[in-house]
Amino acid sequence: MDLQAQQGLMTTYREAWRTRGPSAWILSALLVGFYCVLYWTDLFEAPAAAVGLKNKWYLYGFLYCVFMMGGAAYYLRQHGNSRYNKLRIGVNVSVQVLLGFTLPFIMPMLGQPEFYFSYFWPLKYDYLYPDTLHALPLYLSIYTILGTFVLAPVASLLWGKRWYCSWVCGCGALANTFGDPWRHLTEPSTKAWRFEKVAIHAVLILAVLALAVAVGGQMLNYKSDAFVQFSYSVKSWYGFAIGSVLAGVVGTGLYPVLGPRIWCRNFCPMAAMLGILQKAGRFRIRVKPDMCISCGNCTTYCEMGIDVRSYAQSNQSFTRSSCVGCGMCAHVCPRGVLRLENSWAKVEDKGKQGLSAVDF
Amino acid sequence: MHIVIVGNGVAGTEAALEARRRAPDARITVVSEETDHFFSRTALMYVAIGQLAHKDVEPLERDVYERLNFVRVRARATGIDLEARQLHLAGGLPSLTYDRLLLACGSRPRPAPWEGAAGLKGVGHLVTMQDLNWFTRELWGNEGHDQPERPWAHLEASAADSPYRRRDTAAEAHGQPTQRPTVVGGGLIGIESIEVMAARGLKPIFLIREDAFWPIALDTQEATWIADELRHHGVDVRLGHNITAVHGDDKGCIARLETDHGDIETDLLMVAIGVMPQTGWLEGSGLELQERGGGIVVDEQLRTSDPHVFAAGDCAAVRWFNDWVRPEQLWYTGRDQGRVAAAAMLDADVSYQRGTWYNSAKLMDIEYTTAGLVNMRVEGEESWRFEEKGKVRSTTRLVHKDGRLIGFNALGRRWDHSIIVRWIEEKRPLPWVKAHLNDARFDTEFVPALRLSN
Repeated sequence: MDLQAQQGLMTTYREAWRTRGPSAWILSALLVGFYCVLYWTDLFEAPAAAVGLKNKWYLYGFLYCVFMMGGAAYYLRQHGNSRYNKLRIGVNVSVQVLLGFTLPFIMPMLGQPEFYFSYFWPLKYDYLYPDTLHALPLYLSIYTILGTFVLAPVASLLWGKRWYCSWVCGCGALANTFGDPWRHLTEPSTKAWRFEKVAIHAVLILAVLALAVAVGGQMLNYKSDAFVQFSYSVKSWYGFAIGSVLAGVVGTGLYPVLGPRIWCRNFCPMAAMLGILQKAGRFRIRVKPDMCISCGNCTTYCEMGIDVRSYAQSNQSFTRSSCVGCGMCAHVCPRGVLRLENSWAKVEDKGKQGLSAVDF
Repeated sequence: MHIVIVGNGVAGTEAALEARRRAPDARITVVSEETDHFFSRTALMYVAIGQLAHKDVEPLERDVYERLNFVRVRARATGIDLEARQLHLAGGLPSLTYDRLLLACGSRPRPAPWEGAAGLKGVGHLVTMQDLNWFTRELWGNEGHDQPERPWAHLEASAADSPYRRRDTAAEAHGQPTQRPTVVGGGLIGIESIEVMAARGLKPIFLIREDAFWPIALDTQEATWIADELRHHGVDVRLGHNITAVHGDDKGCIARLETDHGDIETDLLMVAIGVMPQTGWLEGSGLELQERGGGIVVDEQLRTSDPHVFAAGDCAAVRWFNDWVRPEQLWYTGRDQGRVAAAAMLDADVSYQRGTWYNSAKLMDIEYTTAGLVNMRVEGEESWRFEEKGKVRSTTRLVHKDGRLIGFNALGRRWDHSIIVRWIEEKRPLPWVKAHLNDARFDTEFVPALRLSN
């Protein structure tokens, strides 16, 4: 039987590994260590070669898929009774296994470049750098440009950023599977929200600047050696700080202590860009009036740290730019107060009232 | 202007917010014996099992008291001097002088009425924060790592009959958590306790006085589905059973129940047989209380028999949708009353109007939505029922009279009650309602619409 709501009750806070107990810290240290070794040493080259993979990144991709599928089994056991959850995780994991791992593995065998169809600038920060576009076959250059400038905006206006962050993206796929046991650890305070707004938009601006410098460097290729040097170092510093440290070491390594969407919430420039489009588009979380009992399940299990309850208890349907549309708030609500929907039609809320201390 | 509010539950807190909105400079004092911070009483079950932490069930950020300048007094109110406009507090604390007083002191659980039950360890409720602490320790053998701050010492000074006292558990006396718990009372707190016990891996006994589960809300067919669901989860549902006496063991713990269907060995008795207004402390103050039940008598502005004193929430006897006058123990009515009372205290032209009844719940895994007159035995009413038994399982019942919709009861799907309420108020004819039924769905995406054949 399909259910829409959470089946049974969870014993989250009775499990030390999910509530920052010693085991959580040890696991986190291991993950951080793993990412440091992966990014900054060649230790994984030998085992990769031993299993016949071209380099350590393929080995990483393989491990990524294994952890993702293991996590998906956990997720589906906990939340798989609802159609939305089943479909979403099924699609997201399949996209990653096929487009994020298998296809890039096969393409070089067919004389094509290793290309990731499920990633776009600014998440894949080098995909619009002129030298990357130059090196790609024409059809892929066109694909990656259209992906960023047509597909991403149009889809986000129609369905919200969830089409990407919760149905396609690999970071989202890992967060919602392997990272699911820790989703309640994302901090919902106003303070955390303030940090998020500054941090994520700062990274988006950095991504734009890095691209501008790269394009500038290309245009000045034969005129200013100094600028070309500068452009190279900006690109590599961006890759180190954003791509490795924030997305990998911090973003995934700290899952067990800070929750699974640290990267997506605070640092991902793609999420920032799609979030702006989401605010202008059709997606929203609709609130059924005067039915919320303020229990806090929605806010607690929101992996993006959105205080969903503050909207639900004051009768306000809402669109938050950070919302990745995972659907968990609606799933854990014992009163069925929330619904994810796409619609241009304006909601006429009953009028903001009830426990609201936000706007004083 | 000094506004004193007794109780920081949903009615008291909403009143404080509304008062601050209307009177930015008023002095607002909130008195609570139970907790330092407003919490969602409806969420106690989630903390008991560990799905939520204590802090998760606080609907407002903790800095709200400082930010909005609410003075908090953690104390037990013991009486009112209406002449002097003073609220007396226990523990030698100075009395508070008020210009307006709001009584939002809520309910207390109805105590176990059976011979032998009083004072036994392992007998308790799930209504107050302290009940939650007791239940948690009975279930797990410990409190867990996540305790509210400033917990108990302060409360030990409370009166012996306070529902906010820390209590000893049978689990501690036995040296192990409950193995064979019993819940008595077939209402929402009863089924919530059962759900927690089932999630803990226990097979509780569920004693229900009536011959069906929750007969004030469900008809036989609906109640049977819920009872089947309970049994499916290993719950021993015993309908039509009454406790006649309770027996303890030599450690002072509950050991055996006598019922009209034989004896039951048990180590925990969750008493979920309702709540009653917590107004004992007001007797003799001069405030008018209802003779039956003890609810505080209020007018449409929620003003009590004293013009400076108001009441809202579970302790106030308000006019119901069907003209009953008695406390209505619901979350949303408590909140609405708090808001109205605060406005009335500040002389705004408002009145409390109870609209059409609606509610929702989750009975184990089955979602429930209701609106209008259901199971009220309206003369001439009829029911039309639609059932689904495929991947989506649901029942939807339209109660109608003279061909017009008067009530709605549904299990298994999600509904926007506000649309149904509007249809009831607009007296929509039954065929029209059937034709538009899918417009009121609030199902999640990808759940197929109802396919009504007739």
